Amino acid sequence: MIIKKIFLSLLLIWALTGCKKLDLAPSDRYTELTFWQVDDNVNNALNNIYNSIYTSNPFFYNEALSDNAYTRLGISAGNVDAISSGSFTVDLNRFSSDWGYYYAGIKSCNIFLGNVDKNTTLPAATRDRMKAEARFIRAWHYFNLMKWWGDVPLLKEDITADQAKTMARTPRADVLKFITDELDGAAAALPTRDQYAAADNGRVTKGAALALKARVLLYEGDAMADVVTLCEQLMNNQSQNGTYSLYGDYGGLFQSSSKYNSEVIFDLEYVLNSRMWGDYIDFAPLSIGARSNNLAPTQELVDSYIMTNGKAISDAGSGYDENNPYVNRDPRLSATVVYDQYVWKNADGSTQKIYIAPGSSPAGQEQNEYKASGQGTATGYYWRKYWDPVSVPTLQFGSNLILIRYAEVLLMYAEAKNSLGQMTSDVWDKTIGALRQRAGFTDAGALGFPGAGADLTAIIRNERRSEFAMEGLRIDDIRRWKTAETVMNGWVHGARYGDPAVDNGYLRAQLRTFDKNKHYLWPVPSSELVKDSKLTQNPNY
Amino acid sequence: MNKATSASRRLLTRYSSTCVLSAWLLLSVFPLRSQTAFSSPLKSWSPFQTQDRKITLQVKNEKLGSVLEKIEKQSSFVFVYANDEINPLRKVSITMKEKSLNDALSELLTPLNISYELVNDKIILKPAKPSVPLAGGSSGEEIKKDEPAATARPNEDITIEGRIVDANGRGLAGASVQLTGTNIGTTTNDAGAFSLRIPSERFGNGVLSISSIGYLRQDVSLSGRRTFLVRLESDNKEMNEVVVVGYATQKKISVTGAVDAINKKAIEDRPVTNVLLALQGTSPNLIIQQTNFEPGQGVNLNIRGLGTTGDNTPLIVIDGIPGGDINLLNPTDIESVSILKDAGSAAIYGSRSANGVILVTTKKGRKNQAPVVNYTGIYGMQSPRITYTPVHAWENAYYKNESLVNSGLQPVFTPEQIEQFKTQGDGDWRLANILHDAAQQTHNLSITGGGATNTYMVSLGYLDQKSNFIGPNYGLQRYNLRVNQTTEWGHFKLNTIIGYAKTRIKDHSTVSANLVVDAGRVPLYYNFQDSSGNYLTNAVSAQYNPKGILEKGGYRMLDNNEVFGNFNGEYAITKDLKVRGVFGGTVTNNSTYGRTLEVDFLPSSNYGADKSVSNYNYKGLFTNLQLLAEYTHTFAGVHDVHILVGGANESYKGEENQLVKTQTDALGRPTSTTVIDPNNSYTSNATKPDGNPATTETSLNSLFGRAAYSFRDRYFAEFNYRMDGSSKFASGHRWGGFPSGAVAWRVTEEAFMRPVKDLLGDIKIRASYGILGNQNIAAYRYQTNFSNYQGAYGFNNSAVTGARYVLGNPEITWEKATTFNIGGDLSLLNRKLDVSLDYFDKTTRDILDQRQDIPAIFGVSNLPPYNVAEVQNRGWELRASYTLSGRLLTQTFSVNLSDNLNTLKKLSGGESQEIQQMEEYQIVRKVGQPITVYQGYRTNGFFQTLDDLNKYPRFAGTTVTPGDLKFVDRNHDGVLDQNDKYILGNPFPRYTFGFTYSASIKGFDILLFVQGVGKRDEMIRGEQVEPFHVGYSGTMYTHQTDFWTPTHPNAKRPKLAENGSPSNTNNYRTGSDLFLFNAAYARLKNLQIGYTLPQALTRKARIQKARIYFTGQNLVTLSKLNFLDPEITEFNNDTGFGVGANSGRAYPMPIFTGFGIDITFL
Repeated sequence: MIIKKIFLSLLLIWALTGCKKLDLAPSDRYTELTFWQVDDNVNNALNNIYNSIYTSNPFFYNEALSDNAYTRLGISAGNVDAISSGSFTVDLNRFSSDWGYYYAGIKSCNIFLGNVDKNTTLPAATRDRMKAEARFIRAWHYFNLMKWWGDVPLLKEDITADQAKTMARTPRADVLKFITDELDGAAAALPTRDQYAAADNGRVTKGAALALKARVLLYEGDAMADVVTLCEQLMNNQSQNGTYSLYGDYGGLFQSSSKYNSEVIFDLEYVLNSRMWGDYIDFAPLSIGARSNNLAPTQELVDSYIMTNGKAISDAGSGYDENNPYVNRDPRLSATVVYDQYVWKNADGSTQKIYIAPGSSPAGQEQNEYKASGQGTATGYYWRKYWDPVSVPTLQFGSNLILIRYAEVLLMYAEAKNSLGQMTSDVWDKTIGALRQRAGFTDAGALGFPGAGADLTAIIRNERRSEFAMEGLRIDDIRRWKTAETVMNGWVHGARYGDPAVDNGYLRAQLRTFDKNKHYLWPVPSSELVKDSKLTQNPNY
Repeated sequence: MNKATSASRRLLTRYSSTCVLSAWLLLSVFPLRSQTAFSSPLKSWSPFQTQDRKITLQVKNEKLGSVLEKIEKQSSFVFVYANDEINPLRKVSITMKEKSLNDALSELLTPLNISYELVNDKIILKPAKPSVPLAGGSSGEEIKKDEPAATARPNEDITIEGRIVDANGRGLAGASVQLTGTNIGTTTNDAGAFSLRIPSERFGNGVLSISSIGYLRQDVSLSGRRTFLVRLESDNKEMNEVVVVGYATQKKISVTGAVDAINKKAIEDRPVTNVLLALQGTSPNLIIQQTNFEPGQGVNLNIRGLGTTGDNTPLIVIDGIPGGDINLLNPTDIESVSILKDAGSAAIYGSRSANGVILVTTKKGRKNQAPVVNYTGIYGMQSPRITYTPVHAWENAYYKNESLVNSGLQPVFTPEQIEQFKTQGDGDWRLANILHDAAQQTHNLSITGGGATNTYMVSLGYLDQKSNFIGPNYGLQRYNLRVNQTTEWGHFKLNTIIGYAKTRIKDHSTVSANLVVDAGRVPLYYNFQDSSGNYLTNAVSAQYNPKGILEKGGYRMLDNNEVFGNFNGEYAITKDLKVRGVFGGTVTNNSTYGRTLEVDFLPSSNYGADKSVSNYNYKGLFTNLQLLAEYTHTFAGVHDVHILVGGANESYKGEENQLVKTQTDALGRPTSTTVIDPNNSYTSNATKPDGNPATTETSLNSLFGRAAYSFRDRYFAEFNYRMDGSSKFASGHRWGGFPSGAVAWRVTEEAFMRPVKDLLGDIKIRASYGILGNQNIAAYRYQTNFSNYQGAYGFNNSAVTGARYVLGNPEITWEKATTFNIGGDLSLLNRKLDVSLDYFDKTTRDILDQRQDIPAIFGVSNLPPYNVAEVQNRGWELRASYTLSGRLLTQTFSVNLSDNLNTLKKLSGGESQEIQQMEEYQIVRKVGQPITVYQGYRTNGFFQTLDDLNKYPRFAGTTVTPGDLKFVDRNHDGVLDQNDKYILGNPFPRYTFGFTYSASIKGFDILLFVQGVGKRDEMIRGEQVEPFHVGYSGTMYTHQTDFWTPTHPNAKRPKLAENGSPSNTNNYRTGSDLFLFNAAYARLKNLQIGYTLPQALTRKARIQKARIYFTGQNLVTLSKLNFLDPEITEFNNDTGFGVGANSGRAYPMPIFTGFGIDITFL
């Protein structure tokens, strides 16, 4: 009786309360089953792949991995200061975050490539183009992985979590072959920059695929003839591969007013209010409204800029005056670096002088001065390149970050030709001569071919440094040239505000060590070695 | 007179098991309803009255005492008598069958010349003729035998008289005697006697309500009598205590699980702004931590520490409805709080009970009570407790020079400059100058009362807590309204509770920690403003001026509204079987309006240049439907059975949206350059910037039951079971079953323990075992899906939308916590000393956590949860309270102490550790250790000599000099590296305790409440630890001056050195125990000193009670960690990863001092 009553109550309760359905799905998103059938979604998935190309933080802070810059507060930038000092551990966050970043990007590409054909409403040609864009970006990620780590697991399609636990590293040569093959495939399927509609500005082009392949092979160093061929395709066959030329104004190249100019081959897109770079707040002179200075150009970089007469500052007859060091220098110096007494152009067209030498400022304007501690520069220099006068008031960067530009094609060409022993006055004029002219050199000593007797290799290398400072290429160059073991050992310096008895008064910014048997490759993150039984570590870590 | 002792012993009220169960039943029907009187005997049957029990007796030559016990078992009544009046050893013989109680009593007692009276649930026995004085109180006073009802003439007052005594028969002075429904009342004299004139028309049907502090209130029907003897039973005794448990209430003696009941007394009259802060320290292993002390800030709350690597927040049930926001409750509205700690008590809440359950019950009215109006108010000031002070400007300049010189650099301050700093004094740029003392006040007004079939309670509350930040009137206001109404109608009873809470918080427009740090680490060379009032920046705080931001930088205004409703209808099908339906829930509507204004600083920089205006809105609907059936019966007088079955659904839907515009004008209106911020604006059908959906919906279907059995109030057994189906899990993994069993044994009820019981008191042993669940994860995590997000990329200067892939795990299901608990409740020394002890051992398996064993090459950093980890958590609790009553002075001591320690048994897959770098040091999750521990090197003094420098190990590539730290080479391999790290400490509190002392003498009372933590490690970095921290901080503090110098080699801290120098790198960039601090503390949380005005005085003003008091909160703190508040934690409620290191930049703790008033009007 009682049991029956209870049972009946239970049934009643169940009937009254159990009717709420539990299969609830979010209202703002698609499931795997329905997603790819919608054209917009396919576009959005591809846009997401673009989103993961790169970020501004390593773009800028990687300069501090090289001898171009020093970061005082490495903690805010993936500890690049620890890497450059040589006294890092394999647990360093930067290694695992980069490793994870690239593989996350690769996964997006693999998912896209594996699913895009589930869509049947987009034209096949459109889907082919989109696939080529994704393949280019996947190759870009593998190139970065290979650059830093050498052998890396090569995942050509999406894998499961359990498969990930037993992936071995693919030999570097195979990764290289995959990258170049993919770039070939992408180049064949992609439109040129001229073929795209204006609305597609910023998409991967055929020219980008060719240029990236040239960079990949240039870094290998053993296929210079192929590099020459690729560069020539871009220089001489522009009707097929896209029209590119040097932009008239070196400084203006990096400003929002010149977005999508004729020199840009591949860039990271900036959109006002939506995708902006917040890094500059730690680069600019404090009087511009910066929070602090966290990435300071080194004296070594400043010294590398030649004189307007084409001579290095150390050359006899260069005219370099250590007490007045910033006059008659490569015009690219003042487009890149802010030094003492620099005349800064404000957004409204007015100017202000940046006083950096200790004790040099008029009263009340001391904040940019070098101090042994504080929020100002640690080296006596601030950055200028990429500052955009029309950027929003919060010091957010105002322009696209250029990842590959035509100037690089010219310098790759020069370097490849030179290494094949084919450097001529003609090649010089088309490459370094043209770049120097664009930069504002007028002296024939700088513009003219220095002759086969000059140390052309050194000149080409230095030209890359001056042209691409603060564009992230320096660290690649010193690693592939194997000069890191030289330039990354010893003190890196700041301006001549220090104890005259130490290093001739040049500030010691950071003591660096570089082990050539170890540091040319980054360590595989130690946490990954534990998770993936087949993964192996790079030598000497 | 020596008989009085035995009388008092015998007079201990004993309840029959029937009584217990029926009381339980009653109370489960009407949670915490006072037991009201029904002295008019035996009317028609009503489901809420139980006196209509038929009595069957067959005894021969049995002691009267045991015969009375038999009647107790068969009725719901308890006999009360004095041994010196009624001899329980007298032998009787009687046989009766199915007699009514009245008939049975007459038949039994009349021949024995004993009269009886039914009062409440008690039957008072007295000799049938006038007796000698009851006990050794005041001599010679006679209690007249009840006279038959006098025939009163209309409109004429009748004088009644009587005496109020305690259980020992002693007269109670100052007890209140009140004719219910009127303002007629009096208090007793020193002998406990009273006389009262009452209108004749109330003489037949009036009810006297008798109360005295420390005793249970009793209602007595006049029923035409003129003389009364009323025995009040002491309150606060285990026997009478009722405890709210899941879906019901229980007498405390029959509770089998680990349930801690916190009375409103622990919360009353404290200047706390929310309930959780009031509960801190009141219950062992109820651990409450704060991340900062700002008005409106939430707290970390957990019971028995951490049992899972996920969310450890317990389930909160307010007036029977789960999931309410306890922070919005008015602490004054709370009647009681039950903490369900073990499986035995919590399993009826199934899938959400693994972290324990907190049941909050709010106040109600009483039946037959004239309206009582109560006002309480507290007003006082909060002073920020600033724990650190920068050194004087000139001292700082001196130290800075020393730091530079130690690093091989040139000093920057000349002796003249230092002298000048000394002469001109310090600037005003310091933390204290962006803070001020701020007022805090609370006002509460309540009206309670009831008629014969209804009760009501209406309360209004107002809280105004100003912020300690300077600026335009920052702070919090909360408005509370609560109505609780009960109506009975035949077999039907309806209870309605409606609560409304409105919270308004006006906050500055930035992040508090940034203001605190910008104000706190600038050396005293600088001022906030120049003589013209311009806000300045300087070399250390180059970007912002916190004073300018606070005063001119705009604000955020939070306006949160919540309506709570609970409709509870109950129908008695038979007297044993009741069904109950509950519908309740909350409607929430929160909004935030934000306005950032531009402030320019000199010589450079500004704040709020984006001049944004933002509007955020949230609406939430939570509904809960419960249907329950409850059956109670006593078989053969000794077997008590209680069965409860129920089903419930809980459904939630929350929707958010936000609009942010930048570059607006001074009034926040759009201009030609205004844009909608695409990254932070979203509608309710969109994905939020953090990747979560703006609309979330969850639902939970449940079936549950409880079966309880007890035998002779001696052995108890209880079984609970709950099945939950949750929308958070995929079909097939959705339903979980959560059983628990519990037993208890009242040892002292055994016959062989009688002598012990008489000497000691009650002893109960309890044990429980069961499986509890946890599903505290976000919705939809079992589904893989694609969500769109704005601003993914841009083509041709225009933003384009992207689609993100969110991986789901269809396999996820509940966390399961297997919990064992053993405990005991002891009531000793004549119940003056109450002690409870518990030990628990809980193992949580299938913990939902990120898998650590999946390599990054899988490509998903936002992995879905998997059922992977396992944690064991063990600990104990002790509670003790002791009451010392004297003639004038009554003192109560209560203490609680507890410990818990968890051990991570499994992380995921084969992974045995997970590390997060916290700037210099690390936090680690490591199998075999507590869930989260600090890791780093151990220091071993300083390098002092050349010999040290040559021989002692150091890190590769580092240069050390005398005055630098030595680190322990743990593995003695001669080099310092990763392998030399130690587990340095556990950031979670252990040995938490609370101590309360209260005393009252005459009208004065004092209460002292101390709360603390016996053991906790805290790692702190940043400017509070490192002089001239990195380059961000420009100052040293007075607590940092004990540093190494050649003449002071035994210092606490290494020598001063500049950032980037080898010394600084060795000492401060290496995560070591240099950053480790002992955060144990004891804090005088509350001190009250009060005075209650004499009733003789207040009655004239129609005031029943008036108390004025001083109250202070957080008055004294004792801790070895003296430069920061030891209560602050950097962790959330899972001590999980993803938090930043603790840099001690929290809003400071306010110290409150003020006065309160508590008035009850007649």
